[in-house]
This record gives sequence, C-alpha cells and structure tokens, in this order.
Amino acid sequence: MTWGLREVSVTRGRKQAIADVTVPVDPARITVLIGGDGAGKSTCLEVLAGLLEPCSGTVFRPPKELIGYVPATAGFYADLTVQENLDFSASAYRLSGREYTAKAAELLEKTGLGPARRRLGGQLSGGMQRKLAVGMALLHTPGLLILDEPTTGVDPLSRAELWRLISGAAAAGTAVAASTTYVNEAARAAWVVLLEAGKAAANASPAQILKDVPGALGTATGSARPTPLSWRRGASWRVWAPDGRLPDGTQPVRPDFEDAVVTATLASERGR
Amino acid sequence: MIAKEFRELRRDRRTVAMLIVLPVVLLVVFGYAANFKVSSIPVVVTGPGASQAATLLREPTFHVIEVNPAAGESVARARLRDGQAVVAVVTGGHGPLVLMDGSQLFSVETAESALGRIASANAVASPRVEILYNPDLTTSWVMVPGLAGLILVFIGTLITSLGVVRERQAGTLEQLAVMPLRAWDVIAGKIAPYFIMAAVDLTIIVAIGMSVFHVPFAGNPAIFCLGAALFLLVTLGMGVLVSTLSQNQGQAIQLAFMLVLPQVLLSGLIFPVASMAAGVRWISYVLPLTYFIEISKGVMLKAVPISDLWQPIGLLALLAVVVLGLAVFRFRRDLAPGGRKQHAAAMREEEPAAS
Amino acid sequence: MDALAEARQATRRFGQITAVDAVSLSVRRGEILGLLGANGAGKTTLIRLLLGLLSPSRGVIRLFGEPVTIATRRRVGYVPQTLGLYAGLTVTENWNFTAAAFRTRRGGPLPGSIAAWRKDVVGDLPLGVQRQVAFAVALSHQPELLVLDEPTSGTGPLASARLWEGIREATDAGAGALVTTHNMEEAEQCDRLVIMADGKVVAEGTADEITAGRTVTGILARDWSGAFALLDAGGVAVELHGTVLRTGAPPALVAQLLSGAGIDATVETIPASLEEAFAAIVAAPDEVTALAAPATGQSPR
Repeated sequence: MTWGLREVSVTRGRKQAIADVTVPVDPARITVLIGGDGAGKSTCLEVLAGLLEPCSGTVFRPPKELIGYVPATAGFYADLTVQENLDFSASAYRLSGREYTAKAAELLEKTGLGPARRRLGGQLSGGMQRKLAVGMALLHTPGLLILDEPTTGVDPLSRAELWRLISGAAAAGTAVAASTTYVNEAARAAWVVLLEAGKAAANASPAQILKDVPGALGTATGSARPTPLSWRRGASWRVWAPDGRLPDGTQPVRPDFEDAVVTATLASERGR
Repeated sequence: MIAKEFRELRRDRRTVAMLIVLPVVLLVVFGYAANFKVSSIPVVVTGPGASQAATLLREPTFHVIEVNPAAGESVARARLRDGQAVVAVVTGGHGPLVLMDGSQLFSVETAESALGRIASANAVASPRVEILYNPDLTTSWVMVPGLAGLILVFIGTLITSLGVVRERQAGTLEQLAVMPLRAWDVIAGKIAPYFIMAAVDLTIIVAIGMSVFHVPFAGNPAIFCLGAALFLLVTLGMGVLVSTLSQNQGQAIQLAFMLVLPQVLLSGLIFPVASMAAGVRWISYVLPLTYFIEISKGVMLKAVPISDLWQPIGLLALLAVVVLGLAVFRFRRDLAPGGRKQHAAAMREEEPAAS
Repeated sequence: MDALAEARQATRRFGQITAVDAVSLSVRRGEILGLLGANGAGKTTLIRLLLGLLSPSRGVIRLFGEPVTIATRRRVGYVPQTLGLYAGLTVTENWNFTAAAFRTRRGGPLPGSIAAWRKDVVGDLPLGVQRQVAFAVALSHQPELLVLDEPTSGTGPLASARLWEGIREATDAGAGALVTTHNMEEAEQCDRLVIMADGKVVAEGTADEITAGRTVTGILARDWSGAFALLDAGGVAVELHGTVLRTGAPPALVAQLLSGAGIDATVETIPASLEEAFAAIVAAPDEVTALAAPATGQSPR
C-alpha cells in the first residue's frame, strides 16, 4: 500500500477506539470505510490525516501540503463567501496566483457553485456546503484526499454530484479514503474496510467481500423473528446460517453486498 | 415541564455555577468590598511641626506611615506621586499645608471630611488643602483610565474566546490542523486582529476622554502603551484559555463572564481597593485589571515615571507569560497531537510515488 | 376509514413560493410509506402540514379521518431528525416526560431494547442507542401513526436493520408509518414510495415499479480513468463503481465519444438502480406519469 494505516490501534480515554486496523489507500483508487456510529471510522481517518497519534502500528502519509481533508462537520467557514473560502484555502496551501485561478475556476464549475460565488457559506444548502468543503480540499491538487462521512444526511442528487467530484479526483490520480454509512457507496469503492466496534470485520474489494460470505442466506416472512441471526429487509426477513443449514420455512437467496456487510458485522459481533 | 427543566438544569454545571457563584460573589462584594468610604488612608507628615501634626491625626481614618521633620514639601509631593501616601501634611512655613492625591477620589473625600472633624474637635482652623492631579475631584477623570482597562478586558477575554470557540464549533479547527500551517501561525493569526481592534478602541476611549471630559494625559504615552500591551496579552491569553475550556459559544460566554465580573467589581474600577475589607482585598491583588488601572491612572493623571511603576508592570509581564503560555500550550494540543507518543509508535512520512 | 393520514390536493404557499403543490397521498394501516425528494422538494413542509404544524393554503389534510387537533395529534408518534430528546436528561427521565406530556401511565416499564441504558444521560450515549431511545419514546404512547424523519441517518447497516425491526413491529400491530429518507437502502425497506420534486409528487409506487423499465449505460474499459476523464470533460455525468462506469447518457452517444478518442470499451444497457431512477425522475418530472394510483392496494414485498 502506498498510504494508509497498518495494524494501527488507538485508545481514547478508557476506550479502545480502533484495534489493529489496516487501511490501504492507493493512488487513483477509492477506499471506503463503512460501519455504524462509533465503529471507529472517524478515528481511522483522523489518524491518517495526522490529527491523532496511533498508540501502535504504522501510518503512511504524504507531507501536509499534499493532503486534502474534509471533516465530518463543516470544513468551511460559514461567515465567509464561497470565493473567500477558496481564497483562504489557496493561501494556506500557498498556491501561486495562476495555479489558483485555473483550479478555482475548474472547481467552481464542477461543483456548480459558480453562481453562488458571493454567497455566504452558511447560506448554502447542505449539499452545496459539502461540495464547497470538498472543493476547498481539492484546490491544491492533493495526492491524498480524506473525507469523513461526506454524504451523510445529504440528498441523493447532491450525493451523486459529490461522488462525481470525488471520482474525478481518483480518476486524475488522487488516492481517496472516505467513510460512509451508506452501503451502496461502499459497493462502488475499489476497496472496503468494514469496521465494527473498532475492529476490521472485512477488509477487501467489494467483489471479494461478496464472495467471502460464509454459510447460507435465506429469506423468510412473518412478524416474529425467525432466528437470532435474522434481520429485517423490507417486509420480510433475512436469515443467516453460519453453518450453512437454513431452518425450515426459509427460502435460500443469493446474498447481495448489503447482506455481505450485515453478515460480516454480525460475525464480528459474535466473535466479541 | 417544570420538573424536566429542573432536571436539565441540574446537569448543566456551568449554569448551576453561575446561579450559585453569582449571588455569592455579589454578596461578598457588596458586603465587604463595595464601600466608598476608605478606612485607612496612608499619610506622610513632614516639616518642623510633624510630630504634633501626627498626634492630631491619630484617628482611625488616617494611618500615619511616616513622620519626617527634616523633609519638606518636595518630599511630600514625591510620596504622593509614587503612591506611597494619599495625604501629605507639610508643616512649617505659612501654616500647615495638606496635599492630597486627587486620583484617589474617594480617599480624598473621606480625608477632607475627617480633617474637618479633627479641626473642629481641636478648635483649630482648617488647614490649606491642595488637591493634586485631579483638583476638581472630577469622577470622569478617575473613571476613564479604568474604562480603558475594561474595554481591554471585554475584547481580550470575552470576544476573543467567542472567536476561537466559533472555529471549534464549526469544525474548521480540525481542518486548520491538517493544513500546512504551524500552530503558532494559527494562534497568532487568531489573536492579532483582536489585539489591533483593542488598541484602536483604547485610543478612541482615551481620545474621547481627553477631548470631551478633558481628562489629562500628563505622563509618558510610551509607558501607557507598554502597560496596555502587557495587559492585553494577559486578557487575550485568558480569552484563548476560556476557548480551550468551552465546547460552544454559550459556555464560552458563561466562563468569560465569570472571569470578567470580579474584575469589574473588585479591581478598583468602581469601588476603591483601599476601602475593601482586608479579607477581600487580596482578590483585587490577583486581578490583572487592578494593576492596569494603577498604571493608566498613574500615567494619565500623575505622570508617574516608569521607575515607580515597575511593580505593576512587572506583575503584568509575569502574568502575561504565565497565562499566554498556558493558553498556547492547551491550544497547541487541540491543533497538533504530535509529540505525544504513547507506547512505541512508529510513523513514517513518505514522498508520494511519481505524480 | 382506511387512511391514517391523508392529503388531498394539499397546497401550501409562503408568499411567492409554493412549497407544496396539489399533493395527494395517504398512509394506511400496516404500511410504511417512504417519502423521497431532493432538498427543497417540499417533504418537510408536507410533514408539517400532516402534523398540523402548518395549515394548507388549499386542499384538505386529515389525520384519522378528522382535521388535525390536539386529540388527533396524541395518536401520532413523531421522531424528528434531531431526535427530540433532551440530551441533559437520562433515558428514564425522557421516557417519563413524554409519558406525562401524552398523559399515559407514568412510570411504565422501559422496553427491553433500551432498558439497559435507563440511568444513562442521553447526551452521553452513542448515536445508534440515542435513535433507539428516540424511537421507543415515540412509541411509548402506542401511536397509530408514526412519522419518522430520516430514522437511520448516520447509523450502519446492522443498527439500521434493527431499528427497522421496531418500525415493522409497530406496523405489523396495525400502525402506519410515514418515513422521509435520503437513503436508498432505507427507501427499499418501505412498502411504497412517493417521490417529490418542486412541491409536487412526481412518482409513486413500490421500488420495483419505479425502477421498472428504466435503464442506464454501463461502460467497461481497461483505461477507465481515461474514459471517466473524457466523459466528465465532455459534460456527461458519469459515476464510478469500482472500475466500472455508469451514466444516464444514451449508449450511442457514449460509444461515439469513446471511440472518437480511441478508448476501447464495452458499452451496454443495464437496469437502473433506485438511485439512478430517482435522479432521472427528478431531473425530468414532466416526462413521468405516476406509476400507481393511491387508491389501489399494493402487494407487500
């Protein structure tokens, strides 16, 4: 791996936030961290960005000038206009006038924020605010782009536009590490790290994770929960049998990526 | 609804502190400190009739600190200027002359009435009184130097803390930490504008004081600026400290308020320090504003030379170093975790491959 | 009376802006209706209308067959996006407060799902648990209608499924639920979907009905980053999935652009995902006809 975490552990206060987690991040590829709230996604990204020191393990990252970071909250100044926000980012990263003007124009167009140039950051809609934050992080053409839950709570249209921005950066060679709670976003990544209670419950490409689903998966109906290892999917239940033997009354079904993620999470929970 | 509100309140420690601390502070202040009558005025007596005069002055209002028959008027004036005494009795010559330090307004008023009492009690004519530095005992002359300090406290502590906390609340502090900025850049960048604004405001206050209220500026502006700069560094440091202890603007305001209020009440801005009961007076000696007021009053009204102000200046300098140092230390921790390595952590920074 | 909550040609204007435009929908017993839409589509205003927080400029709003009053509101359980809990109080204290406000039996036992945290201050709990608490509190007075605003925002797939268990339990017992969401997986958990754009309903039906017949173009290319850059620069909206590209643009156009630049790729037509269908519908609402009328029954999945 070019950049990322290798067997990193972090203790926060009395809690172990992450334990022996490896997150590979390579140029021109998107690595997605997925997991519930408190699973350790933000912690991993903070370690990668240099905001947090690991208690053990190794971190690989480029120097600060080549990192772009979008935190889970804000990442831009609400009291400055869009233009002023970009100006600030440019001077913080010491971009020359010419580099800045060209890149800024490109980003304003890609994010669709051109017409809102003079609007205050705080007056933009949620989706536009995220795009501004991502734009600010991309301004200096970073080698490593780190995004902490860039799309949580954002409407689907803006989310698609955000991912276009992010994919564009990856296509241009940037290494991207992003965290999300949306399974379908993880399904699109080149590499997925599924976190559960600070541990990596899965650490492979989406296709591999799908292949690695152990046991058998079935579907069942009814109001009562069929087995302890069942969960709701629409109006029916998904039933997982790690030993491969599905109970009576369940129909076998081929797992999709969402199933793969849930079974891996359950397996990790059981292992604790 | 009522029960719920009480329960929520119980857990909000800062508000509870304010609910409890505030009345206690006010009680203490108005009980022991808020007093316009000064109880023990330091007096210096000079001239041939010194010991007789000193006997006459033996009453609780006056505290004779020096009886110096050999000294004359110039020594008396010197004592008043450097603040060792508030009243000086110069005997001999054409009759006793009482000099009073007009910058200590309430002490002078107390002294005047006490003198009147002594004169009539001893069937002696009232002596000549000359009030130095603030001959008309104008209140604004005494308030303006103090107000200058108040402005610096507000901007330095309250407003600076809000500015820094806003950054934390918005989540942009994390981003700054990741950018190639040194921690010092960020801190200086955040404090500098407030320093400048405070300096501008200070100039305005002094200018208005001088033009509208005719407050004199008798002394060396350079000393004033030095005192102001040091004091500003202390208050800015307190502002940054408050911000490192607060998660949001509401908390910052509460904490800043609790630090500013005692200074307003107990630093000599309104109630003279000399009139405070000894048990409470020590508080004012801990407050930076007390020392700034000493400096600003001394320079503006009395033209005190720097040699006599080394104490407040020195103390402010020391406070500035301590408070600012602590503030910077805590703020750096927010910005850059580096340097705190736990167990054996290895960290490598590599150059990116190709591109 | 079948509908728990109903809007009939409801319109709401704010000055010059029409936030909700002649919207008709209904939530029935035992069903979960998902409300989807971009920001500003009118979802929040519609919810406010249904809860009686706003009155319609035109049209009719009914809760349990009657106009909205305090009495009918007592039969609704609402969980806003901000959860509506007091962060400074414990779980039990929040529970009791809601019980008192809705005048149900105070001090009833906490449900098993949150009993373990009864003494914990809500603000200190992780988000997933907070959501469980908010949900349990909303259910505590046995509402017949649930209105949930982005119920699983920010939670992972397993925690989300567990929350949905609770929702299904309530609807299986006869309640109805109206859920707003930005999350496609969550949308697929609903029985029926209503998509809004610019204050109007632009699509209705099950997830299958909405995606039926919709396709997108899939592109497989060795030089996928070059293909992406080319299409992106050419103004074609492309999405990257691993190393496969997907776009709403027609395959002929895409093939032309790629071959014109000498990029070797396989271009094919593939079924659209719900998200892509949503994007297409919202982008061109006039081309869409409602896929299922509200009066007909729906088949559960």
